Amino acid sequence: MSPALVMTRVSKSFDGYPALTEAGFAAHPGEIHALLGENGAGKSTLMNVACGLYRPDAGEVRVRGELVSIDGPKAAKRLGIGMVHQHYRLVKAFTALENILLARGASRYGQGLREVEAAARRHCEALGFTLPLDRPVGLLSVAEQQRVEILKVLVEGARILILDEPSAVLTDREAEQMLDTMRRLADEGCAVILVTHKLGEVKRYADRVTVMRGGRTVASADPDALSLSDLTSLVVGAEVRHARVPARNVGAPLLRFAALAGARSDGLTVLNDATFVVRAGEIYGIAGVGGNGQTELAEILMGVRRPLAGSIELDGAGDLCAEGVRGRSVGLAAIPADRAGYALAGSLSIADNYAAGAVLSGRFGSWFRLDRRAIRAATEAAMAAFDVQGARSPNQRAGLLSGGNAQKLVVAREFADPPRAVLAHSPSRGLDVRAAGAVHARLRAARDAGAAILLISEDLDEVLLLSDRIGVMSRGRIVAEFETPAERNAVGAAMVHHA
Amino acid sequence: MDVPSKTVPQPVREARAGSHDGAARPSRRRGRLSIEIRQHASARLQGVVLAGGLLAGLTCAAAILLAAGVGLPNLVQEFVVSIVTSPESVAAVLVQGAPLAVVGLAAALAFRVRFWNIGIEGQMISGAIAATVVAIHDIGPPALRLPLMLAAAALGGSTWILGPVLLRLRIGLNEIISTLLLNYVAFNALLHLLYGPWRDPENNFPNSQLYEPFEQLAELGWQNLTWALPLAVALLLGGWWLLSVSRFGFLTRIAEANPRMGEAQGLPMTRVILAATLVSGALAGIAGFMICAGAEHRLTQSFASGYGFSGILIAFLARNSAPGVLVVALFVGTLFVAGQSLQVFYQIPASAVQLLQAVIVLCVAASDFFIRHRLRWLR
Amino acid sequence: MLLEFLTNWLAAVPGFVVPFALAALGLLLIEKAGVLSLGAEGFMLVGALAGIGAILGLGANPLAALLCAALAAILLSLLYAVLVVSLRVNQVIAGLSLVFLAQGLTGLIGTGAGWVNRPVDGLRPVSLPLLGDLPLVGPVLFRQDTVVYLTIPAFALVAWMLARTMVGLRLRAVGDGPDAADTAGIGVSATRYGAIAAGAALVGIAGGYLSVGIARIWVEGMTGGRGWIAIAIVIFARWRPWSALAGAVLFGAIEALIPRIAAAGIQVPQYFIAMIPYLATLVVMIWTCLRGGGGSMEPRALGRAHLREDR
Repeated sequence: MSPALVMTRVSKSFDGYPALTEAGFAAHPGEIHALLGENGAGKSTLMNVACGLYRPDAGEVRVRGELVSIDGPKAAKRLGIGMVHQHYRLVKAFTALENILLARGASRYGQGLREVEAAARRHCEALGFTLPLDRPVGLLSVAEQQRVEILKVLVEGARILILDEPSAVLTDREAEQMLDTMRRLADEGCAVILVTHKLGEVKRYADRVTVMRGGRTVASADPDALSLSDLTSLVVGAEVRHARVPARNVGAPLLRFAALAGARSDGLTVLNDATFVVRAGEIYGIAGVGGNGQTELAEILMGVRRPLAGSIELDGAGDLCAEGVRGRSVGLAAIPADRAGYALAGSLSIADNYAAGAVLSGRFGSWFRLDRRAIRAATEAAMAAFDVQGARSPNQRAGLLSGGNAQKLVVAREFADPPRAVLAHSPSRGLDVRAAGAVHARLRAARDAGAAILLISEDLDEVLLLSDRIGVMSRGRIVAEFETPAERNAVGAAMVHHA
Repeated sequence: MDVPSKTVPQPVREARAGSHDGAARPSRRRGRLSIEIRQHASARLQGVVLAGGLLAGLTCAAAILLAAGVGLPNLVQEFVVSIVTSPESVAAVLVQGAPLAVVGLAAALAFRVRFWNIGIEGQMISGAIAATVVAIHDIGPPALRLPLMLAAAALGGSTWILGPVLLRLRIGLNEIISTLLLNYVAFNALLHLLYGPWRDPENNFPNSQLYEPFEQLAELGWQNLTWALPLAVALLLGGWWLLSVSRFGFLTRIAEANPRMGEAQGLPMTRVILAATLVSGALAGIAGFMICAGAEHRLTQSFASGYGFSGILIAFLARNSAPGVLVVALFVGTLFVAGQSLQVFYQIPASAVQLLQAVIVLCVAASDFFIRHRLRWLR
Repeated sequence: MLLEFLTNWLAAVPGFVVPFALAALGLLLIEKAGVLSLGAEGFMLVGALAGIGAILGLGANPLAALLCAALAAILLSLLYAVLVVSLRVNQVIAGLSLVFLAQGLTGLIGTGAGWVNRPVDGLRPVSLPLLGDLPLVGPVLFRQDTVVYLTIPAFALVAWMLARTMVGLRLRAVGDGPDAADTAGIGVSATRYGAIAAGAALVGIAGGYLSVGIARIWVEGMTGGRGWIAIAIVIFARWRPWSALAGAVLFGAIEALIPRIAAAGIQVPQYFIAMIPYLATLVVMIWTCLRGGGGSMEPRALGRAHLREDR
């Protein structure tokens, strides 16, 4: 069958930096084609060219055999190319139908809405979606919002579907459902392109995989013919082994969470009687579907949210939740999930960000006079020790750092003094394999030096890899605990069966 | 902070010159304007753009004055020549500049912690009223009267900003509206006092009785400069120390850039914001005291008029830095003094000076575009 | 006696409601498109001056003067739109500067053209036949001027437009999810320009009505903070048109009551009475925050400039 979409020798530069160099691939109707690669490999860029958001500097694009020039999103839609972005393009205040109507356009509101509803219900039935179409989209779950996005592109008549990291924010089960849907759409004759960095998905669902690295396409093959380590080598360019390193010296309980209860910003109680301990010298990993209280637990531990009840006792330092207790001054280090929100100030310099940790301690001058030279020296030393790259000097804005280097800066600051307890919340999200490895190594080093590490991550693989003990969090409490090495399926089952 | 992984400045918009509704045909090679968010702006670029914006603003201002009937030679005379040559003009600029610098500092402090203090005039009025209470009711011995008035003014100004800042911290009430509304409330309170219990029996104007000599800021001996000027300099020095040298200044930078990060690091963000805004209010109150005790020697109806926006203007142009406030305050003082001459000799109303100020601010704000974005013409 | 007082007071209310109502409606349009509109006071001022200027300078009739008021406000709003939409200037600074620009500009032009303190004929009430003679209800509802009669239809039109037309859908999309709107091919900038112009026109008419309809004179700064109160009304109404009208009625009633308190012989210091509208606004704002603020009704993109793929 002739390919639905062929991209040949596509190149694209941004301000001199080559994001794509002669990249190309071909997607056929009826197949799920995976576009695999690390962050920054160019997958999203290539797809943004396909859906009209970027114009290529060179190369050609053919849709159903015909040479085309895609000038903008409208042109792409006309060609039947529809993209579900990683960050959904939805108007949260609108209902699903209004969102679809907005994308599709109409000359008259009432009539347009009726037409959209009819088409949407048709697709829902065909795909087995149960979706409330007239609730504001902002109130729907992430998986439901994704379905609205899929409906949107289908109603617009897309026959070439591109999904950008669709399972990034879904649970294992939701991801399975989504990929089943993709299978159905492919069987109907659509060409489905799956942009992902998850090797497991590729092996299970893709009919064909194209691997990208450094802006180029390095391989295009049948995933069944390749082993996982083959795929990894293609993606990373070198063999990287993911091995567990068990704890050597587990001590007494250091962090005790007792009947902790907390609410979300909108008042809903999501943390309910969370009780568990983390011992010195171990990594305790909390696995769980997002939205079960993990974020609130992290925020309470960091000291930015007050609990409704309960306590967090740090051995020798009392209740961390008590009024006026500063976690940092008693040896708590935190790597938050929301880096831009809680960990770094992008508009300030790297040095200022680094100094924020210890500025009250007197290390960088007194209340009367800040010692800028001490700050600069300490920052330079830390950047060298923790391999923070990509900045010419510590006075550069922290916002210029890449994700991996920014996270290393956070780790450098938090680990400036050997911590007694560490909170690591989604520490490798958005990081490439090498940077993630560096962060994991630091966590293990802190563990081996006797710290109690609390790891919270929605990436089950990360939890399984790093943790010495695993707690499954569901509905705001720990419902099951596992010793590692643990069975992936057993943990996954515990995650969903208490939902 | 979703920065692409290799410090790539992504093009954030590609506006097509003469874009057509993309049909599926090969496009003709048209030029297009690309607008990207600039990742880093050197100090030199910022200086050049700021100067450019100022120049543009001054040109527009000059154009407005010319259109209003002021001849070009007169313009040059008033704004440039006499300012530097005539001692009276220099003194007038310094006299004007002192309270302007203090309100500029007040605005800068508040803006530094992202608190839009639009209520400077109200705080000036409360400060001046508090100082006048001390004067009229003869509180304290004469030797201490002035310091007491100063303290009362600071207290009055702080109190007037306390409500809005607490409302913002506790219930999230937008401070722009709350501080602004309190301006009107303060002004009406002032009118009530000046037309009522504090009205000067000796004349029928709405102002208070003259302050006693020991309740007035003494003259320095040259022209009509008073101790208001050294006071302003001292406050500016203190402001510089607070913002640029002390640890508190560092904490305000964090409060400005990412208060949530500050909280996560265990830094007392709320207390920093509270302290900065209270000092801001106090400074505004002191500025009110400076004008009443230094220049007018009594409480009048319109002493604070125009200082609110001037403070905002000064802080904005000075980018919230103390040395910048000094420079810009002198510049605005020049504007005011020249404006007064224009009023007297050319019948240009006082509102014209306000117009000129607004034009200059808008030009500088617009020029900021070139600092924050990079424009390229792509082929 | 009480009936007379009530009739008198309530009959004056609609006139005082109109400036708040139309200004709030215009601001609502602008903010629904995601643009903060702190320059409201400025739009009102230029509208007020333009209205009087049209009558004194061009000899226009009152309704045409209101049209001129709208045009003047649109002109000023274009400057604002260029600044905040195209040049992405901070909307707070731009809005505040615009107010001061307008204050200075109107002062300068008003004085220069000699329009200050010159009374004009202005709008006169039009009594509807039969209905106007009903007791109590008559004077209040049916003996008002044209603009009052047109206010409720205006609200109906805007409410319908926002909720049930494609134009309204696009406008709301641009204010709540500009990225989604952009991806859908909607011109975010163009839509915002349009919303700003349309909204400013309404605010300008509100100002014009102040000078041409109520005061029938121009003095410097005659809007006296009503623009700011209108901003508060929009927040208090959670960006819903009919709630905004209710808020406007509240403030109109307060403003109509103020001179009547003194006239009724109640002894309260004059300047304390003058404080009432501002204190009332504060109270309303505090109450809005306590009951949950704008919350989910606030246009999510309010105050943020838009650039495609901006992160």
